Parts: sequence; structure tokens; C-alpha cells
Amino acid sequence: MAVETDSAGEARRRRPPRPATEDGRRLASAGRALAVTALALLLAALLNAQNIYKSVYNQPEGTQREVALAFAGPLREVSTALRLDRPRAWVESAIGREHATIDTEIALPPPPPAAGTGEPAAGSGSGSGTGMPAPTPQTGGTPPTTTTTTEPEKPRRERFTPEQRMRLWIAGDSLVITPGYAVLRALGRNEAVERVGDVDGKVATGLTRPDVFNWFKHVDEQVTKLKIDTVVFCFGGNDDSGSMTGLPDGVDLDGFGKPKWTKEYRRRVGGLMDTANQAGAFVVWLGLPITKDGSQSRRWKVVNRVVQAEAERRPGKVAYVDMYGLLSDDGAYAPYLPDKDGQLVKVRADDGVHLEHAGGDIIARQVVRELRRVYDLWSWQRRG
Amino acid sequence: MLFPTATFAIFFMIVLPLSWLLMPAVHRWRPFIIGASFVFYGWWDWRFILLLAGSILWNQLMAVRIHRSAGMPSRRKALLWLAVAGNLGVLGYFKYYDFFVSSTQNLATLVGLDVPLEVRTVVLPVGISFYTFMGISYIVDVYRGDTEPTTLEKFAVYLSFFPHLVAGPIVRPNELIPQLDTPRSPRRVDTSRAFYLIAAGLFKKVVISSYLASNIVDEVFADPSSHSSLEILIAVYAYAVQIYADFSGYTDIAIGIALLLGFSFPQNFDSPYAATSLQDFWRRWHMTLSRWLRDYLYIPLGGSRRGRALTYRNLLLTMLLGGLWHGAGWTFVAWGLIHGVGLCVERFRRERFGTKPEESFTRWDFYWRRLVTFHVVCFAWIFFRSDTFELAWQMITGLFTRWGEPSPLVTFPVLLAIAVGIGSQYLPARVPRAILAGFSRLNLVGQAAVLALTLMVTQALGPQDVAPFIYFQF
Repeated sequence: MAVETDSAGEARRRRPPRPATEDGRRLASAGRALAVTALALLLAALLNAQNIYKSVYNQPEGTQREVALAFAGPLREVSTALRLDRPRAWVESAIGREHATIDTEIALPPPPPAAGTGEPAAGSGSGSGTGMPAPTPQTGGTPPTTTTTTEPEKPRRERFTPEQRMRLWIAGDSLVITPGYAVLRALGRNEAVERVGDVDGKVATGLTRPDVFNWFKHVDEQVTKLKIDTVVFCFGGNDDSGSMTGLPDGVDLDGFGKPKWTKEYRRRVGGLMDTANQAGAFVVWLGLPITKDGSQSRRWKVVNRVVQAEAERRPGKVAYVDMYGLLSDDGAYAPYLPDKDGQLVKVRADDGVHLEHAGGDIIARQVVRELRRVYDLWSWQRRG
Repeated sequence: MLFPTATFAIFFMIVLPLSWLLMPAVHRWRPFIIGASFVFYGWWDWRFILLLAGSILWNQLMAVRIHRSAGMPSRRKALLWLAVAGNLGVLGYFKYYDFFVSSTQNLATLVGLDVPLEVRTVVLPVGISFYTFMGISYIVDVYRGDTEPTTLEKFAVYLSFFPHLVAGPIVRPNELIPQLDTPRSPRRVDTSRAFYLIAAGLFKKVVISSYLASNIVDEVFADPSSHSSLEILIAVYAYAVQIYADFSGYTDIAIGIALLLGFSFPQNFDSPYAATSLQDFWRRWHMTLSRWLRDYLYIPLGGSRRGRALTYRNLLLTMLLGGLWHGAGWTFVAWGLIHGVGLCVERFRRERFGTKPEESFTRWDFYWRRLVTFHVVCFAWIFFRSDTFELAWQMITGLFTRWGEPSPLVTFPVLLAIAVGIGSQYLPARVPRAILAGFSRLNLVGQAAVLALTLMVTQALGPQDVAPFIYFQF
């Protein structure tokens, strides 16, 4: 035995060194390359197990998610048991980032009374001090298909000036980003408008999956903290499936667009509007646009109907902008549309879903029209 | 399939062992790697596979026919034109059709005409610009006699090999096809360089590029009129670093993956922001595209052999078309024009005042030349990144008109990311060499641990979602 050990050790000692390159790097065998790759990926998976679990959990329902969860779950348990999740938590804490957690709690305010009851708007106003705007009747020159008509509550429009500025926040899924920047451009030189932060567009999020990103919590925190007067929302692009997380106890769903699904989705859309309204913010909600994919467009129309109905329940507090109609050409998908000078410009991105710069400008013009109905943002310019 | 994703990690962990198992019987390896590459490409959209297969068949057919037409120069030339037109026709349809139609209609409207053409919203297949250029390389090299047509199987591997398929490097036939003749040695894999390139590429893409994009670049370029001069200036520098980190990061990963499979690709970036002239910049930036443009466009146009005026014309034309290659938009053409004019000015200066060899540069020469070159490149990036000329103009005027305004986007992490992105290009070559040599001497577990920690830190510092690589759209 001792002889065997000795000869094995000697054989190891006599093993020729690995070949090297001219600048001193040792080359390796393919087997070693494979072993290092596999071991590194396994270790990295254990070190990142919490985040892997969260991203798998956030995938759409289906077999792929189930299979991935079957691996990610035990991986997370092993990582936690061996405390291998700690190094990443330290790094994240050092840079001030939250460690991966899954939060599906949806806290919404009670819905407002039905339209036309004459009750005053909920909420007591924002940093500007005057609270919800009082819309004027719809003026001419606007295509009737582009907005939900909102009944006037008071004849006077709220006035903002450079001394008392309207605080504007823009938030939503990826579809809000381009029109959001276009709105900021359109109002950028108006000193009566104060943008609150960047366009808060979070890709691949929505109202059906608070586990991916909890918009209900985020909006509640932001509208209170930032004292917002107007918020531009766009949600729903990722909500056109039959599943939702964060359902109340005893609630189940019956498929996308079906009565139970619609009821729950209305609750969420309306709840988000109320959250903003009750903090004193007027809501401009961008409906989803027509897309190149006909079946997707049909699903998005279902989402739009819910949003439009909820907007109509909140006259004077929510305006609905019909992106679908504004970006259609006689009801059909149009990648190019005439701009304000009549020049044909590309309005849709190559994916057939998102907007190009010029498409955002079309939407922004409509948003400004909506704001003009409820606010006076321009008369201060005439005073001197 | 994107490189920095779990899907690709699983794909690669299946392909890597099978590739080495099949490698001794290279005739079995080749169909395997073609299949793997088609899976990789079809992951985006299975219909793209048909286009790739069509490109392979077309180029191989034409290369063989050109080769068989030896001694019939006019027929060879006609076949060459037909082959190149076929490649450019497909590229033109998928990439430039809508751009052409909308530009034509707008021009026609200006003179009161109505052009009955409709835009079609053609989906651009990822990587089409890259493999189209590789197909043209093969055809032209066969025509010139620089290479002979290879077998259909080897050509299919050459064109579709997944590490380079969607965003380069643009590998020449004589660089890859000879490597497909014999099995790669399983005992001499340059793993330390491969792992270094993959880790560095991931860090550049996931951390540096994504951070700068989401924390300053996207916001400022979307709405320059709302930002201060300082924010605009820093956003331009940040974009210069972002596009470098994004694209060089991708090709680093591609080269590293190819190395793990036993293949070597040409270098694609060599510290471009340390360039001392625009000519030097193009020797260091997207090097495989630069030499492609030189060998297959600039030289066939006549290069510098037909007099001064034609040389300037050829330079301008090459850079204009290089700009258009990057995207179907007039802002890309403007980007190419700036580089073309810059190269002409440099050439004129050299011809008029002579050339000072780099060996005789003083430290001051290096400073000012690098500074001027970097800023000309940054100026051109404004057009490259801006969606419209109007926004590009707002960026340029904003650089001078809003100094002193608040600049909340100019933060320490943004400045640090820019400093790391530019500073890394001035790192002496001995530093990465020493790191690589040290890494290569670690045992197996040590190497795996270093890599795993690097991956963990990269993931922790990066955003939750990694945006597609910028160069995929080209």
C-alpha cells in the first residue's frame, strides 16, 4: 500500500507541467475547462440563489416556470443553509440595494362613490395646496375618440405659476417611457411645471404581478412622498394573461377577460387611480396602443376597456388618453404616420409594440390637451 | 439567446462537453455545431433560421460557380455581382426597405408627387448585417483567388458558428475555415484568457454599460432640453463609454466562448479611446469591420491609388456606407460623414505638413492628440445616439447654453463608471498579462471560485434586467 502511494505521488511529481503560452499563461485540457466552467456556474448559482429564485418566480405561469422552480427552490434552500447567500447580501447592502424579496401585498384605498353623486373629491390636496383640479368642459378641436369625456365639477381651472408649480410624475411599464419623455419635452420649457424625477418606467412589470414589482406600494409611497399634482400612468402591456398574484383570500380567476378576471383587474386599476387621487394627484392614464400583432391588439383592447371604464367612474380626477386610436391609421396598425407638418415619420419601434420618438410626440400633444382642460399652466407667461 | 442569461448558460453547458466529445471525429462535430448554432439563432425566432440557411446555400452556390468559371473573366464578374447583389438585396429588404420608402415619400411630397409605396414594418433579423458581410467576404475572396470554395458543411459552420453569429467579430474565411479542417487540440485550451474575456465582457456589459444607460444616457438623450450643459457633456462621455463597454463586452464574450470550444477569433477592440488620430481610432475600434470596409469597399473603389480627389471621395463614401451599415437612419449617415470628413482632414494635413512618427511623439503630443481624437469621436456619437437631428442639435446647443444649472444626474458612481471605462484603456498590457498568468496557475477549485465570485459581484452590481446588446440592431 505504502509502495503504491509512493509511486502514485512520484507519478504526480513527474507529471509534466501544463503547456504555456509565450506570455506565461498555462494552457489547460478541455476536461479542465469543462470542470472549471461547471463548478464556477454551480458556485455562482449558489451565491445568487435568492435572486435566481425571484426571477424564476416572476416568470409567467407555465411549464417552464414550474420546471425552473423545481430547481431554483432547492438551490435557494441549500444556499441559505450554507449561508452562501450572505456575500451577495453584503454587496447589495454596501451599494444600498434591497436584497431579493417577493412582496405581493396589495393595499388599496376604498373605491370612490359612483360618478354623479355630487360628493366632493377624496383627498385633501398636495404640495401645491389646492388639491384636485376642476375640469372645464371638453373644448373643440379634439377628436372624440381620443379621450374619455369627463363631466365638469367646477368651471374654474386650477392655475399654476413658476412660484407655485405643478409637480408632474410619470410612471408605468416600458410603454410609458417614450411618451413619458415626449411629455417632459413638451412641457420642459414651461416654468410652471416641475418634473418629479425621471420617467419611472419599469420594463416587464404591470398590475397583475406585484411579485415582479409592487406598483401599488410604489405609487402609494411616491405620491405621498413627492407631493405630486399630476401623474401620467401607463400599465397593462404585460397584464394580458389569465393569471395574477396577490389575490385576496377566497378570490380565484376564470381566465383573461372573463368576469372574475375583469372584476379583479378593475379593482387594481381603480385602486391605483384612487391612491393617486386621494393623495391629491390628477391622473392621466395612457391606454395601450394598437400593435402589429392582431391578437395582442385584441387583448389590449380588453385591458383598455377596463381602464377607460374606471376613468369614467372618476370624472375630473382621471383622464384617459386613447393611444390605440391615436396611433391607428383608419383602425389599422401604422408604423408610419404624418407628423404635425404632414411629413411621414416612423412612430412605432421595430418590435411592433413600443413607440418611436415621433409616436411619443403624438401622445404627448394629447396629454397636454388633457392638462389644458384641467389646469391653467400658461397664463402666467402673459402677466409681464 | 443572449449571452448573459441563464438560458445561454444551460445551452453552453450542453454544447461545450458534446463539442469536445465529438471533436476527434470532426466530420461528426461539424453537423453538431451547425445544429447548435441554428438552435441558438432560432431561439429569437425560428423563421430566422430559414434566412440563415438561405444565405448559406446562396453564398456557397455562387462561390462554387465563380470558382468553376476560371478563365471566363466576364462570367466570373457577372456571377460576383449577382452574388453580392443577392446578399445586399436581402439585407436591403430587411434593414432599409422602410427607411427607403419613407425617405422617398417625404422627398416626393416636397416636390408635390405621390409615390405609391407602402411601408411594411419588416422585422429585422438579428445579426443579419454581420453574416451578410461574412458571406460577401467569402464570395469576394473566392473571386480574387485568395481562398478556394470549401465544402457546404464547413461553410455552414463558418457562417453560422454561434459565438460570432449575431454581433461579430466579422471573421474572414481564411481565419476560421482552416481551423475547421482538423480537430482542435483538447490539451491546449487557453482557458485563462477565455475566462478573463468572458468575465471582463460580462462586467463591461452588465455593470458599466447598463449602469450608464439607465442613470444618465437614456434620460439626457431622450430630452436634452431639460438638462444642464454639464449633464449633457457627461452624458456624451457616458455614451462613449456605454457603447464601447457594450460592444467590446459582447465580442470579448464571443472570443472567450470560441476559445473554450478550441477556436480563435481575431481581436475586435484595442483601447480605441487611447487613439491618437481618427485613422488610429479605426485601427482600434471594431477592427474586423474596419478591415472589412477597407478590403471590400475602400480598396475596390480605388483606395488611394487614383489621385488625391478620388482618395477623398473613397474615404467619404466608405465612411458614409459604414454609417448606413449601422442603422437605417440619416443620423447614422451623419455619423459616418463626420468620420469621413475627419479622416480626409487628417489625410490632407499629413500630405501638406508631413507625418510625425508615433515613436517621436512627446508626452504632450500624446495628450493633445488623444484629447482631440476622443472629442471628435464623442461629437460623432451625439448623432449616432440621437433619434433625430432635432435632438442631436438640442444636445449640441445645450452643451453651451445651460452652464450653472443644477445637474442631479452627474453623480459620483456615474463619473466613476466613466473613469473606469476610459481608464481601463490606458492600463499597461503587463497588468492583464500578470493577472492571466496568475489565474492560470490556480488550481481548478481556485479558478472556479474566482469566476463564481466575479459573476456574483457582476450580477449584484448590475440591473435586474439586462438590455439587449446595442450592436444586435445593426
